Amino acid sequence: MSYIPGQPVSVVVQRIEIQKLRDGDNLILGFSIGGGIDQDSNQNPFSEDKTDKGIYVTRVSKGGPAEVAGLRIGDKIMQVNGWDMTMVTHDQARKKLTKKNEDVVRLLVTRRSLEDVVRQSMMQQPTH
Amino acid sequence: MHKNVNSSCDSGIQRQCKKAKKYDGSELSTQGQKVDVKDQAVEKKTYPLGPDRSTELTPTMHGCDPEGRSTHDSHPSHQHLMGSSVDEDDKSDFDLYRAEEEIEKELRQKYQSKPEPAGESQSSVSAPEDIQTYSEREWKGNTSKSRLIRKGYDTIANKYTLRIVRGDNYCALRATLFQVLSLSKQLPAWLGESDITEWPKRVNSDGDLIKEWRFPLESRKSKVEMLEQCLNRLRKRWHEAVECKSLQERERMCQQVFVGQEEEYELLEALKFLMLRTAIQLHAVMTKGSDVPEFCWLLFARDSSKCPKSLLTNHLRHVGFNGGLEQVEMCLLGHSLQQTIQVYRLYKSDTEEFITYYPNDHQEDWPSLCLLTEDDRHYNALVPKRSTNFDECGWPIWRQPSDGQSHVTTRL
Repeated sequence: MSYIPGQPVSVVVQRIEIQKLRDGDNLILGFSIGGGIDQDSNQNPFSEDKTDKGIYVTRVSKGGPAEVAGLRIGDKIMQVNGWDMTMVTHDQARKKLTKKNEDVVRLLVTRRSLEDVVRQSMMQQPTH
Repeated sequence: MHKNVNSSCDSGIQRQCKKAKKYDGSELSTQGQKVDVKDQAVEKKTYPLGPDRSTELTPTMHGCDPEGRSTHDSHPSHQHLMGSSVDEDDKSDFDLYRAEEEIEKELRQKYQSKPEPAGESQSSVSAPEDIQTYSEREWKGNTSKSRLIRKGYDTIANKYTLRIVRGDNYCALRATLFQVLSLSKQLPAWLGESDITEWPKRVNSDGDLIKEWRFPLESRKSKVEMLEQCLNRLRKRWHEAVECKSLQERERMCQQVFVGQEEEYELLEALKFLMLRTAIQLHAVMTKGSDVPEFCWLLFARDSSKCPKSLLTNHLRHVGFNGGLEQVEMCLLGHSLQQTIQVYRLYKSDTEEFITYYPNDHQEDWPSLCLLTEDDRHYNALVPKRSTNFDECGWPIWRQPSDGQSHVTTRL
């Protein structure tokens, strides 16, 4: 995905609906996030553009709610329940995902492989 | 509190006897020491506001220890009483009649063990603590007292953070001194107007009062010279405090002072001297018939302090050793420094005495220093909370984004 600071972002997104799992007093999602505007984006192994300060999925627990819902490691989270995730701090992102009164989070995510697949399939289509 | 005695049968009873005899023992001492004994006797009778003026002559009695506080349902003073008598018994197993000098010597030894830190320097004032956490930790019970105290803490939790002051008989002076050095924004008038190091000589010239003075640490200097040194230190440090350019600088200075060494005690003695001098002045005005602040009447109405000399002998010279400051003496302290000491008294939560001003007649023109006490015995310091998003002038504070931080990952 091309990320030009100041330009609107155009990406192919996938909708992921995660049902949180109740574990005692906690609601777990089964994945980890990294990134944020207050973090060092150079360290992000998943981003194409190292100035991209977005929120990325850094780990997905095997068999957890996130994996079941289709989330993959390296996904960039664009929105959570309608809230933008492209310009937030790490902590703000965490808060939007871990609201205690929400059992479900609906994410809009994008991933490199998605883009490639769509681009390829578009190229293969014969133009009528 | 007799149950403590009975639990160890004979030895308990012996302890009681020993206690009584100890007191008699000191009264049998030689002629030259009788004056001191009388002072002690007077002290015991005439401290109406203080329930447990130390009968065991241990300076630590006045303080509070965190362990004692968690089980606060029983009266803490009695617990301390029994505790300290055990110590003294261990030291003097067979000597039923201890002379006055031995008691004084022990007192000095116990006292001097405090100023010498064991290896590393111990701060006399702790780092700021969140009040909510502190109150929940220290007052866990559900008695009406616990609830009252916690309520008091809750009322001020979002306005201040707490700094615990070392719990000995100097704590009221120490807490006040700490607030002065860490928060005061300008020098009081009297500090700038005259050379305060001349005051001890002047005070002493009228009646040789200073010979009664008692210092916690020994020195070769004369008492007058020692007081001059103390006042000089106070002046220097107060100047330094006010001239600090940042909070960090100020905090560093306070950490240098409040380490339980000579400097700290000299500053505390300087405060005591200022109280004496002010008392002399106020007493003179009072006897002439002119107007004085209300607390003066209360101060000199006590049988034990009808005049400045007896105030010194029976009260001031014991402060730090075996007594703290009474409320009326807190007024004297505030008045001497020209600061309003604003004390949150938690056991008076829900009453109009919850916040008491010492003194209360200069709230408009003298700066405020905030202290906290749960029981009018131990005082801690309160640091006003600053709004974390705006600086002193009201401009938003820019916080740098944490660049250069290693990749932070949060598990959800």
